[in-house]
Amino acid sequence: MVDKLWFLIPELWLFAGVVVISVMGLCKARGIRNAVPLVVIGFLAVAFIITPLLYTDDRLAKVADGLLIPMLGKYVKMVVCAIGIVLTMLSIGLIDRPLEQAVASGRARFDPIRVSRGEYFVFFLLSLIGVMLVCNANDLIWLFLALELTSLPTYVMVAISRPSRKAQEAAVKYFFLGAMAASIFLYGLALLYGSTGTIVLTEMRDAFAEQAAAGGLNRLALVGMVLALLGVSYKIVAVPMHFYAADVYEGAASAVTAFLAFVPKTAGMLAIILLLMTVGWSGHLGPGVEGLPQPILITLWMICVLTMTLGNIGAMLQRSAKRLLAYSSIAHSGYMLIGVIAGPALGINAVLFYLLAYGVMNTAAFAVLGALERKGEEIESLDDLAGLRHRHPALAIVMAITALSLVGFPPLLGFLGKLYLFMAGVKAGHVALVLIALINSAISAWYYLRLLGLPMLAMPTPTSETIVSRPVIWPRVAALVTAIGVVGLPLIAGRLLSASEAVIQTDEVSPMVDQFDVSMADQPAEDQRAP
Amino acid sequence: MILASTVPINGLTLSHYMLTSSLLLVIGLIGFLTRRNMIVMFLCTELMLQAAAIAMIAFGRYHLDVSGQVFVIFILTIAAAEAALALALVVLLYRHKATLSAEAWSELRET
Repeated sequence: MVDKLWFLIPELWLFAGVVVISVMGLCKARGIRNAVPLVVIGFLAVAFIITPLLYTDDRLAKVADGLLIPMLGKYVKMVVCAIGIVLTMLSIGLIDRPLEQAVASGRARFDPIRVSRGEYFVFFLLSLIGVMLVCNANDLIWLFLALELTSLPTYVMVAISRPSRKAQEAAVKYFFLGAMAASIFLYGLALLYGSTGTIVLTEMRDAFAEQAAAGGLNRLALVGMVLALLGVSYKIVAVPMHFYAADVYEGAASAVTAFLAFVPKTAGMLAIILLLMTVGWSGHLGPGVEGLPQPILITLWMICVLTMTLGNIGAMLQRSAKRLLAYSSIAHSGYMLIGVIAGPALGINAVLFYLLAYGVMNTAAFAVLGALERKGEEIESLDDLAGLRHRHPALAIVMAITALSLVGFPPLLGFLGKLYLFMAGVKAGHVALVLIALINSAISAWYYLRLLGLPMLAMPTPTSETIVSRPVIWPRVAALVTAIGVVGLPLIAGRLLSASEAVIQTDEVSPMVDQFDVSMADQPAEDQRAP
Repeated sequence: MILASTVPINGLTLSHYMLTSSLLLVIGLIGFLTRRNMIVMFLCTELMLQAAAIAMIAFGRYHLDVSGQVFVIFILTIAAAEAALALALVVLLYRHKATLSAEAWSELRET
């Protein structure tokens, strides 16, 4: 037990940050209130640095029996902290803006009851702690509580993200559907518990292995697993729980939308991986067990195909940039599920890499939207982006690079992520699935190229001329940092891939890391002209 | 010790509890999808949570294992947190439109 606490130090550290921020947010001195986001960045940076130091071999050896994937935390926590820092930059100057302006100009007095910036960042950090806790989950209680810790703060974040009524409507929709999905997930967990008689994940794995050896999983376990998958598909915005995404993403402020598309999705993906790990992919539970049980495989297949297809078709019909990105978020979840279906040997590493890639690309896209405004209101429509190049060239280039990366244009980050996922799919024998995904990628080019063409090629319209950038510089910094990530991370892709491969040690030695190192070395660094 | 006893109480077996809990889940789901009053919709999600809780306790008794009951205590905590959040959000919306109907709120939709 004490050994496990070592791995919780990043979470405990961030929780200390939560306490500090909640006090700082209520301070009377304006300087201290303004320093809140910088303190958040500081806490996240320290958590990022200490995480790899904690995962030493001798400590891992002590807990290895109790955890399904002992190394999962190292990679995930570092990714979450790094993207959390960018998301924090994006949120600077978002909350309490009219109030702080009034206080600064002396028109209003500071009233601790009316400020909510401190609370926003408290919920922000708590949600990140939730994701980090998911990877330490060793039983169902922990898994459920960590998932709820990820979700519950996001409902509040959506509601307070901007003063418009849209945000409140989005928060209520998000909350009600989230509560419903959580109940279905929980019922699935109850059935899994009933089928095995234990809530500890490793013991569940052994129980399932026994059942499989005795002629297949019992029906209770299958129904429970399917219900749990359906419930958690809400968190990863997959069919059948995807329909809220467009409304909620449109209603929340761009910074929060970027958060929603990365943080709960990561938590949900990890939960799916952990749950499926108990059932086991091909050869995982030992000889005689061939792949995922058929009903679970079929469910995942249908979720995967429908998610990709409906996401891409939905995105084609949108005129709002945020709704378009919401549907694109759905489609990308579908791509990631290919890796989940492919299994631990290659697929899970690909999913983990894609989570990082998608987190960076998605934050870049929303950072551009979040850095622009018209009369203090965020821009939403695609038409607002027309001719962005003429007035905000750097942001237009960021948007263009991001759109190319989201399509999967080589040699950008999104291309590597997709390549790795699809190769895992082919290697695991799911060729049909990969073909559907390729067709979907082709469809997606149609709408992503609008995100590229409108800012770069179209002429500014009278409405898009009135757009200015936000007065604080941080959202633009976030856009720049993520764009550099989209262009620059492929250069160290070999190292990132081997980091994600280290998460799941399988007997099978994968040659993919070496291939990537070679292919990346061949690439001349021609795309280094970051904006 | 109560847990060690495997004799069904008053002839109730696991199936009875499972029937109750699955009925609660289905009633909650149908209510959630058909009712438009936000408080009632929230109560329906609570019903679904409690369905899971009943299933947990019944299975815990069936397997003579306390972890199901431990789980339920945590479920109750989460349910309480959700209730606090739900009421805060509903009050927020009620102040704007003075109605509890979910249909009054449809600014966000496909265009």
